[in-house]
Amino acid sequence: MRVLILTWEYPPKRLGNVSDHVSTLAHELVKRENEVEVMVLDDLRPGFEDVYGVHVHRVANPVKTHPMASVLTYAMTASVQIENEASNIVYFYKQHQKSIDLIHAHEWLTISPAISLKHAFNIPFVLTLHSIEGHRSHNRFGPLSIAIKEIEDTGIWESNKVITNTDWLKNEILRYYGDGHRKKMDVVWPVGKGWVDEVFSVYQRVAQETLQA
Amino acid sequence: MRVLHLSWEFPPRIIGGLASHLFDLSRALTRRGVEIHVVTCNFPGAKEYEIVEGVNVHRFEAYAAGDSFLSWALRMQKNMERKGCDLISLIKGVDVIHAHDWLSGVAGIGLKHLYRKPLITTMHSTEYGRRNGIHNDLQACIHEIESWLCYESWRIITCSYYMRDHVSWCFRVPENKVCVIPNGVDVTKFNFVFNYWEIRNRFAHASEKILLFVGRLVPEKGLDVLIKALPIILGKGVNAKIVVVGEGPQRDEYQRLAKDHGLGNKILFTGHIDDWTLRALYRVADVAIVPSRFEPFGIVALEAMAAHCPLVASSIGGLDEIVDHEGTGLKVPPNNPEALAWGILRIIRDVGFKDWIVNNAYQKCLWNYNWDKIAEWTIGVYEAILHEYNAGSWKPV
Repeated sequence: MRVLILTWEYPPKRLGNVSDHVSTLAHELVKRENEVEVMVLDDLRPGFEDVYGVHVHRVANPVKTHPMASVLTYAMTASVQIENEASNIVYFYKQHQKSIDLIHAHEWLTISPAISLKHAFNIPFVLTLHSIEGHRSHNRFGPLSIAIKEIEDTGIWESNKVITNTDWLKNEILRYYGDGHRKKMDVVWPVGKGWVDEVFSVYQRVAQETLQA
Repeated sequence: MRVLHLSWEFPPRIIGGLASHLFDLSRALTRRGVEIHVVTCNFPGAKEYEIVEGVNVHRFEAYAAGDSFLSWALRMQKNMERKGCDLISLIKGVDVIHAHDWLSGVAGIGLKHLYRKPLITTMHSTEYGRRNGIHNDLQACIHEIESWLCYESWRIITCSYYMRDHVSWCFRVPENKVCVIPNGVDVTKFNFVFNYWEIRNRFAHASEKILLFVGRLVPEKGLDVLIKALPIILGKGVNAKIVVVGEGPQRDEYQRLAKDHGLGNKILFTGHIDDWTLRALYRVADVAIVPSRFEPFGIVALEAMAAHCPLVASSIGGLDEIVDHEGTGLKVPPNNPEALAWGILRIIRDVGFKDWIVNNAYQKCLWNYNWDKIAEWTIGVYEAILHEYNAGSWKPV
């Protein structure tokens, strides 16, 4: 299976836990003979790197100045650049009569490009939420948080599956964004050895559902 | 040929000049046989999809929460992009993507790469020009987005040579990437029957010459120069009155300035007036004056020319190219009341000269600022791009 993973951090960029989570996932998927392309927002080291079989594409935001260090304008401009480089990957494979089977986005920062790629290329999209804005924010009903919540909401709507790390977060997402998403939710406890297999089985189910549809 | 236009405004949603520009351009392109799809923000009462005189208009949900205008604009463009994706899938491909300014350019960049189709951008103005420099982070961010857009565009269209130089300097774009296609004016809108004296008496006494100023009341439009020129004109024994159409933050200041010169009864601020009255006013006015200090194009000059109204304009920006001195109007140095008074007096005193420039100006509108010709030139740009695109290797498969 050929998977495109979108994330906002990947080693050596480490601001939170998502970085190591995604790199473990990517390396384990490669060990199971999948092709993994990782797109990561990294302003300091843009470019391509092949890390033991994982194709890491580090994308720098072309827009450097953001008023009041707004994470929203950063995310929206970076999102377009991710789409641009992801399209290049898709077209590269198309030229070799191959295709990307699945997009796996992590956290809200990569939701916007994932949705656009899904719409443009009809690639199914799996979303992992490690946390949600309602828990992170210090000003939950401020305009910034409302915008991020809207993005998370759209992402949950548009995704084919939502993966969370804990049952608790799954229930919290259902509480925030509506119980109607219950069928979409999957919990993978990312500890121990077998969890990547569980993620992979989610991929396979999504791919199968897409084929049937 | 099928072209996708991206714009954040399209009638009935009118915010600036872009809406009417795109409305006229897209209809003219349709008349020439181009299939036009406009993707634009929704508006209360407007349909999600409609065909306006052959132009396919697709509206998307423009609402998006954000912590500033800029974040709204960017999130709005993600919605625009998604609508574009769905539309392109529905109509099975487009040939060219045409964006207007940075408020649709980011969506254009995304669609360009997602579908590998050439992107063309019309730069109507720049943040640098609007603010006369980049002074804070918000403006810097917009400036960088515009720069990114110019980088990603296959070709850039500007409406004047002045704007071409400005864009190429501002974003370090090579000049060969920029095409100049002027704005247009529809002269037929100015040909109608109306009661001359009924309109004229609303604005001035029969013995007064009407000096018409149309524009926002902001420093770059230079109304103060005209006010300072009026005493000189009156001093020469010509009875004249300034009619100011438009609103703006500087209105009080200009009213005070007129009073200080003892001209309180020689200047009339009308505020906004409806389009029909404005066109009639152009036709009853004795001189139209555009004393701007900064002007990317100067659509007011075109409207005066189309209405057979003689024109005195500053020799800057786009005006410098629209007006030919002593040919289609008079050009005077900006910020110079004496020169402006000279120009106005020359037109008022020499009726034969006035008729000559007015006729020349009208002919120039027909020949240079005709939407059908502009559409033809725009199609020329599309074709040139498609030729390069077809010859190149950057394609979907």
